[in-house]
Amino acid sequence: MNWLSISSNAFIFAFALYCASFIGYAIAVAGRRWSNRDVEAHTKRWSRIAFALAIIGWLGHLTFFLTRWKGGGHIPTSNMYEFMTFLGMAIMFAFIVVNLIYRNPLVGAFATPLVVIIIAYASVFPSEVQPLIPALNSYWLKIHVTTAASGEAFFAVGFAAALVQLLRVVDFSRKDKLGKREQFWVEAVLFVVIIIVGFLVSVFSFRAGGYSAEFQQEKFSIDQQGNEQSSIQKVTYGLPPIVAPYNSEKLSMTPYLGIDKPLFEAPHWMNGVNAGRKLNTVLWSVISGLILYGLIRLILRKPIAAVLHPYLDGIDPEDLDEISYRAIAIGFPVFTLGALIFAMIWAQIAWSRFWSWDPKEVWALITWLFYSAYLHLRLSRGWLGTRSAWLAVIGFIVVLFTLIGVNLVIAGLHSYAGV
Amino acid sequence: MLQFQNTKCECGHQNPTGTVLCESCGKPLVEDLPLDSPLEMRYDGVARRSQKANPDLLDRVWNFFSSVKIAVWLIVITLIGASVGTIFPQEDTFINLDDPAQYYKDTYGTWGYIYQSLGLARTYESWWFVGLLAMIGTSLVICSLDRVLPLYRALSKQQIRKHHAFLTRQQTVYIGQLEQEPAAWTSSFANQLRRKRYRVTAEDTALLAEKNRFSRWGPYINHIGLIIFLLAVLARGIPSWHLDEYVSMDEGQTKQIPNTNYFVKNDKFTVEFYKDEELPPELKGTNRAKLYRTEATLYECTANCNDTTGKDPVLKEVAQHDIEVNSPLSYHGLDLYQYNYEPQARLISVRPMLVDSRTGKSYGPFDLPMNDPPLTYEAGPYTLKLSNVFPDFGLDDQNRPMTKTRDPNNPAFVFIVTGPGLSEDGEMYIYFPLPSGDDKTIQNQINQSLQKAGSNSGRFTFEVGKMENVSFSQYTTFLNVRVDRAMPFIWVGAGISMIGLIMGFYWQHRRIWLRIEDGKLTLGAHTNKNTYGIRAELAAALNKTGVAVEPKALDNRRNTR
Ligand code: HEM
Repeated sequence: MNWLSISSNAFIFAFALYCASFIGYAIAVAGRRWSNRDVEAHTKRWSRIAFALAIIGWLGHLTFFLTRWKGGGHIPTSNMYEFMTFLGMAIMFAFIVVNLIYRNPLVGAFATPLVVIIIAYASVFPSEVQPLIPALNSYWLKIHVTTAASGEAFFAVGFAAALVQLLRVVDFSRKDKLGKREQFWVEAVLFVVIIIVGFLVSVFSFRAGGYSAEFQQEKFSIDQQGNEQSSIQKVTYGLPPIVAPYNSEKLSMTPYLGIDKPLFEAPHWMNGVNAGRKLNTVLWSVISGLILYGLIRLILRKPIAAVLHPYLDGIDPEDLDEISYRAIAIGFPVFTLGALIFAMIWAQIAWSRFWSWDPKEVWALITWLFYSAYLHLRLSRGWLGTRSAWLAVIGFIVVLFTLIGVNLVIAGLHSYAGV
Repeated sequence: MLQFQNTKCECGHQNPTGTVLCESCGKPLVEDLPLDSPLEMRYDGVARRSQKANPDLLDRVWNFFSSVKIAVWLIVITLIGASVGTIFPQEDTFINLDDPAQYYKDTYGTWGYIYQSLGLARTYESWWFVGLLAMIGTSLVICSLDRVLPLYRALSKQQIRKHHAFLTRQQTVYIGQLEQEPAAWTSSFANQLRRKRYRVTAEDTALLAEKNRFSRWGPYINHIGLIIFLLAVLARGIPSWHLDEYVSMDEGQTKQIPNTNYFVKNDKFTVEFYKDEELPPELKGTNRAKLYRTEATLYECTANCNDTTGKDPVLKEVAQHDIEVNSPLSYHGLDLYQYNYEPQARLISVRPMLVDSRTGKSYGPFDLPMNDPPLTYEAGPYTLKLSNVFPDFGLDDQNRPMTKTRDPNNPAFVFIVTGPGLSEDGEMYIYFPLPSGDDKTIQNQINQSLQKAGSNSGRFTFEVGKMENVSFSQYTTFLNVRVDRAMPFIWVGAGISMIGLIMGFYWQHRRIWLRIEDGKLTLGAHTNKNTYGIRAELAAALNKTGVAVEPKALDNRRNTR
């Protein structure tokens, strides 16, 4: 057995325990309503079990990380797979820290599924250990990436707590415009989460079925001298092509649902790296998310938020407000250090410019400015409670855009090797 | 802005205009909030300059910049502006862009054209973006000045016995009848708090316990750090503080760093690629660089640095370093970074023989470097004098030899050979070291025409023979040379900012006040963060001294939703 295979076993172990921990927390929270035993004792017992599972899972995750480091020869944070699994590990760590302070099972019930989703998302990307390009071979980069992710992890926990807080305080009996609007937006956040789950479900089920389709795409670009250049690329799809890449020809495609050719071609202005495939993935995520959401609604016959809401009684929204704020307050200095200062030091050494307005950098700055606006707003009275919870939710969306969106939408200096 | 009139408190203290809570006893003086809600405790309710009555123009500007609300707006607008700049690549990501408007139109379509013509392709240098940063800077300075002094005054002279209204309207409150004897209880309670590292001062049956006051300065230290950082960024605009040049060199080449008195030599350049077995399947067979390195020597020029009359500059070696990505050469604020490399085969030096075609004898070999070749060479009994060099040989429109560039793409050397059996003036030959057929043809043609003109007898030729007599440079290395004298200030600002953040976020200022009248305990506690923590701490201390209370029951917060 070599290091890398120990590593991948540890990964599966950690993933399974995280799922178990989530179930434990779900029982702790939901059981309050259907258990006829002593509610307090029930919650306490199951939150303990779930927390223990989370910690053991985290140790497994740490083993994964260290053995992969040993086996791969460099710290595993250099491609999207490695970075996202590391982020998952950091979120779990942040959750453990926050839970040790506040011991609130509700945060666990929302933080553990978040980690599960992030790790599953990581597994979408190729997991081979990849060689580094020289610019990435710097210990400052490693320090930068790990500290930045740790700061973001605390923001993630702040997000989880804020989401619980919103689910807790939104009044589902209200019928006025403002009440309706709140209900709508809370549901919308859950809907987005379900779309992400839909994305994961479709990627993994087609991958398990060995699906593939190939296209040959001809691309035109204008080089810096103003000459037109054309190049031919092969594009491989893991999901059935609803849209083909712009200006492409089908090479091979397994038929699905009796359809054997793409329905559309991507518009010409989508000319980024692999734009056609990305659009296709987005379409699949939305479709499967919609189906999933539809099924859930059929079963529940109510908005999901309205179903979750009653389980969250008995907890003070002020406590959740505090937990969310505290997680962000712990994360802010870490994020500043990791995502801005260490990044500047690394950039100064590697690229000779501590700041070059690269999109990834700009988005890290935006994240930072956003959270500093959040902190300033919390200094004034009207911004505690629900409003600040909304900011914590939006803040984490900004974090996710910085981490994933920028790589998907805008390719800059930072696009990780091999993604 | 509210107008405050009566600022004299019932305790007799005369407060400045704008005071919210009496500086002495803490009694609320102004009510802009519901009567039962927790007090606004910022800056302990002391007056700030920005709360002056009848503001004049200067005051108004001051008030504008000292407002946190305005600061948040500035931050939010900056954030939105910054995000707009990431929609399309900025102009400066392209190295040579002759016609940006056309380029954006061709590459990104109409939206790209609009984007570029609105100046958004240079967002971060635009007047409005820089203006926003400057406004944030101004706001940082003014808001800190506005608050730090009042806060300092309020915290350095604190009264122990506070007004009832002050105590019962804190976020954390306990009111109850004491079963123990007040003085004895107060001292055992004080001991409990001391154990938790509170500084306790008591005044008969009133008490003030306080800890971590220093954390209140955290935000201000953070802001000072940010101000230094922003000033350092501005200072990068000072021309002499800033240099940004590129130097490209083949192996063995020495070049002057433009706009400086420094020269740099590429002693050796190496690049290593990943071996096939190190690469994952989809990358096998590709050349993926693992490492590239320029072994460089830096020289300082002491004389004839920019001489155009042909005098050689006088160089003094000052530093040597193997420059790699992530490992620049640094010398007195000058940094040389590995920027790029390019495969570009070029001759470094050859060791030709001088061949006498009449006797078939060859003399030498002699060393002929392509860069800075010496003026004379010895080959057997013969002496060769270099009379002309064309690093990149070509013919001008009148068919005269000339050099196309300064780069040794196709070097040609003109020698004058003197020695036994040759005339005093010697014979002139041209030599092309590169072994291409075309060059050899031109070489022969020129030598023949020199023979016709009587400059040589056609007796000599040059031959390199074995390959080990030729050394090639395979790559051209590109270095980026930078001077940035503002950098130390940038790091200092960032460091101070970090210290402030850590102080402000990982410690919390906590204060507990209490007074006892007729056995009735009134206790109020305040922290600028982490009310959960102070409640737990207080409940523990109360429980240990015989007052049973749950942490939750101390929570006096309302209206937070
Ligand atoms: C990018 C710019 C800025 C950043 C990153 C920043 C950061 C911070 C941080 C982290 C805190 C601590 C918050 C807390 O304790 O919860 C803080 C507090 C504060 N900031 Fe800023 N700030 C910035 C700009 C400004 C500006 C322009 C003003 C001007 C009005 C300002 C006024 C304040 C005030 C008054 C406080 C509260 C200080 C106290 O608690 O005593 N900030 N700032």
